[in-house]
Amino acid sequence: MRKTCFIIIACLLSPFSANGTPDSEMIVVCYPGGSVNAKDANGAMSSMLRVVERIGHWQENSFNSLFTAKTDECRKQIAQNNPKFAITSLGIFLELRAKHNLIPVVQPLIKGRTSERYRVMARKDKYKSLDELKGKTLGGTVLEEPAFVGKIVFAGKYDPASFFVLKPSNQAIRALRSLDKGELDAVIVNEQQFGGLASLHMETPFEVVFASEEIPLMGAVANSAVTTQEERARFGKALEEMCSDTEGKKLCDLFGLESFITVDSAVFEPMIKLWAEGK
Amino acid sequence: MCPKQNAASLAAKQSQLGSLSGTNTLACALTVLRETHDPAVLRTSLGSRLCLLLAEREANQERREKLAAEGVGFAETALAQGGDSDGAVHYYLATNLGLAVREHITLAMESLGRLEHEMKRALALSPGIDDGGPMRVLGMLYLKAPAWPNGIGDSDKALELLEKAVKEYPGHPLNHLFYAQALWDEDDDAVLAQVKAEFSLGEKLLAEGNWGYSKEPWQKEFDEFQQEMGEAGSARQQPFAQALK
Repeated sequence: MRKTCFIIIACLLSPFSANGTPDSEMIVVCYPGGSVNAKDANGAMSSMLRVVERIGHWQENSFNSLFTAKTDECRKQIAQNNPKFAITSLGIFLELRAKHNLIPVVQPLIKGRTSERYRVMARKDKYKSLDELKGKTLGGTVLEEPAFVGKIVFAGKYDPASFFVLKPSNQAIRALRSLDKGELDAVIVNEQQFGGLASLHMETPFEVVFASEEIPLMGAVANSAVTTQEERARFGKALEEMCSDTEGKKLCDLFGLESFITVDSAVFEPMIKLWAEGK
Repeated sequence: MCPKQNAASLAAKQSQLGSLSGTNTLACALTVLRETHDPAVLRTSLGSRLCLLLAEREANQERREKLAAEGVGFAETALAQGGDSDGAVHYYLATNLGLAVREHITLAMESLGRLEHEMKRALALSPGIDDGGPMRVLGMLYLKAPAWPNGIGDSDKALELLEKAVKEYPGHPLNHLFYAQALWDEDDDAVLAQVKAEFSLGEKLLAEGNWGYSKEPWQKEFDEFQQEMGEAGSARQQPFAQALK
């Protein structure tokens, strides 16, 4: 009955090494703090890339993907492979943009928005402000990127590593259960996780202790030193059209994406400034 | 050539049809069930189970998916004929459905909810089928599905179910393999020794037991996981190889 468990992995089962031709272009995909394993994620990415190739009139298997949920591994893969394109978190982009000449190509549009807020949640009536959480435990998947949390989410006002006792997790739901049981004092969540809280049935209600400013969603980036303007425009256009393609739309729906849209690079300027100024 | 048999006689000896049965024996039995209108037979899980056994042996994707889809059809017929209280019907419905959609990302993702529902019904009604099959498969469903808030994936639930499967049905090699995989996914060096113990026990059970046609694909699963551990172990601070010492 072993094969039956493949149900779960469904689409997700083709490792990147099997997807591309020998000279295919690698796209490094970084999802810090995610609970998806690389093998599974590369399969899902493979489905998306086949659609992008078709829309952009590339030969099938022109691209392959290399996925990681580890920040260190992401840095290493980008350094080793020097990819033309990558899909990264905002934190990775800000950290590596100068070193690898990264420029944003497209942003995702989710529920009509291209930005999100991060929130620190605590059990209701337990803490009134972030300051009251000094020295307390903070969990969450976002903590895989503490520099991003400190410089961008807290806008440089709090250094997470010294202000809190950090308890990173690769599963948001596990962190929230720990909060519910009182094992954690607070959990930091992104917009998507915040939106899903209503679906959880916890013993104690949570409330927002801190909400960040609007932070732009990150999508695909390009290395401007190894791509031409034409290549970036072609790749960006294919991604933009993906969610209106019949097969692509199904994938977009699965990931909760309305579409990808062309980046207004000015959107990222304040983030770049915060990163540079950050503690 | 198929022996002369009818649906009632097949139903009477259905416990003999399993992973040890020859492929021709299963195919002949399925041919009979395709023709029957006997409600007493149609409300059982037999047709669905035969389809799954054959589909698992089928290397050709198109034929495999067709068999699995037929298995889903048999299970749906069984439910319509009053088989709702039979956990095996739900179990084989879910397993066939999983096999039918596994290569198709959107279909697979769309099916997760139904897979979970059917497997939970199977678990509630007949937890012991296939040596804890509902716990094992539901556990892996929670382990591998996209996690909250994007999906039903839940490592805590996976660990709980797979640990229970190992404790209550310790004789099935896959229960140990899957529990080892769930522990491995914790990415915690403190459990590496336990990963090794579960993996080794499962492999021993597989080597020493008579698992028929299932033995080869299961061994492949053990080999793939061992390879995954080896590759990932080299990137960890405490390599898996050290834990094996």
